[in-house]
Amino acid sequence: MERILQRDSGALEVLYDRYGRPVYSLVLRIAQQPSSAEEIVQDVFLQLWRSADRFQVSRGPLGPWLFTMARNRALDFLRLKREKQRRREDSDSDILPSAVVRPDPEGDIDQSRRAEKIRALMTSLPETQRRAIELAFFEGMSHSEIAAATGEALGTVKSWIRGGLLRLRESLGEASS
Amino acid sequence: MNCEQLAALYEEYALGVLEGEERAELEAHLARTCQTCTPGVAQARWVVAQLALSAPDAQPPAGLRGKIMDAVKSSADSARDVIPIEKSKASQQRAMFPAWAWAAAAALALITGYTIRQMNNQNDQLAQLRKQMKLATMQNQALQNQLDMDRMVAMVMMSPDSKPLKLMPKDKNMPMVHAYLHPHMGVAITADQMPSMPSARTLQLWFVPKTGKPLSVAIFHPDSSGEIALVAPVTMPLNEIAALAVTEEPAGGSPQPTSAIAWMAQVN
Repeated sequence: MERILQRDSGALEVLYDRYGRPVYSLVLRIAQQPSSAEEIVQDVFLQLWRSADRFQVSRGPLGPWLFTMARNRALDFLRLKREKQRRREDSDSDILPSAVVRPDPEGDIDQSRRAEKIRALMTSLPETQRRAIELAFFEGMSHSEIAAATGEALGTVKSWIRGGLLRLRESLGEASS
Repeated sequence: MNCEQLAALYEEYALGVLEGEERAELEAHLARTCQTCTPGVAQARWVVAQLALSAPDAQPPAGLRGKIMDAVKSSADSARDVIPIEKSKASQQRAMFPAWAWAAAAALALITGYTIRQMNNQNDQLAQLRKQMKLATMQNQALQNQLDMDRMVAMVMMSPDSKPLKLMPKDKNMPMVHAYLHPHMGVAITADQMPSMPSARTLQLWFVPKTGKPLSVAIFHPDSSGEIALVAPVTMPLNEIAALAVTEEPAGGSPQPTSAIAWMAQVN
């Protein structure tokens, strides 16, 4: 990031080579349209280039920060596309996300190993629980919207998501220890 | 709810599913920078962001990397036209040559000189063409950037989630500046009929929080026709912003305002 702050475009190429694929995969999963996904990913990396000074290494790792920014962008696109007027008073999910802090900075496992871990975890969840988490993460739905979309009771949806996230947290804790 | 109870909700908040009272309670802790909940939510964001890796793996289009780098390079001021000049160290050995050899060498030197001059001319023309192409690419990119920015401004302006604000000038001879505050897409600023500014000065937009120091949001300049259209990211919770203000600052902006407020709008 320091090299990007010094306007070294080669550093952005390095970051793109590392994060371009997972960021594109995420955005395509949300936007569902390759042409839109391409445009959003381009915006995300240009935003990173322009706003590098707002990212502070001391506040957390770059990857999750980039994923959060890409997710916010893609969900904004999705909301505009659907012309829904859902008011999410979610001031923490700006285009430039807030601090993302790794729970244990010492444990350093590589991205592909972590991806395997996450995919394995998601696959191990019951279909309904996995679906609820996917609706929240990839489609930006709230508890009550997921309940309405799945026809399940609000309490059930909350319990699925809470349980799934707890397993995710534990799993990542194990993976990085 | 106390911090211990709220800790169970950190991941749900980071995921964006939390609603109602639970959300409001947690946000109240975050708004006062609670020493337990603030780092707890930051860690939860890290956990939730890992879900990105569960998306089906997809190969980005081959040209995407190039498009990004083209856009970046044309805007970067890192373009350098460095032509290394190496001075060869020719040996200075002298030898005895017959007259015809001197004549042949002179003819060869003439031909070589002519060829080099021709090549230099061609190189000059090529360099000129490259310069023109570079200029055209930069102009094209500048237009594209402006179009992108106009599109973003329009998106923020038209969004039903945007809060329109009028920044009133302190000097009544100055035009009004319009702002549209969107919780996710950023803050759009528009104005026209702005007077021209010296290049050593710039306008700077600030979020004035309810407590604490103003936070710089963007620096900008009216264009040649006196118009302003830009979108800057929202870098603090909307409910903490008391006002938007614009000041005039030295080029490059200032960490904190150094002049009186020139435009201002109350937010909350």
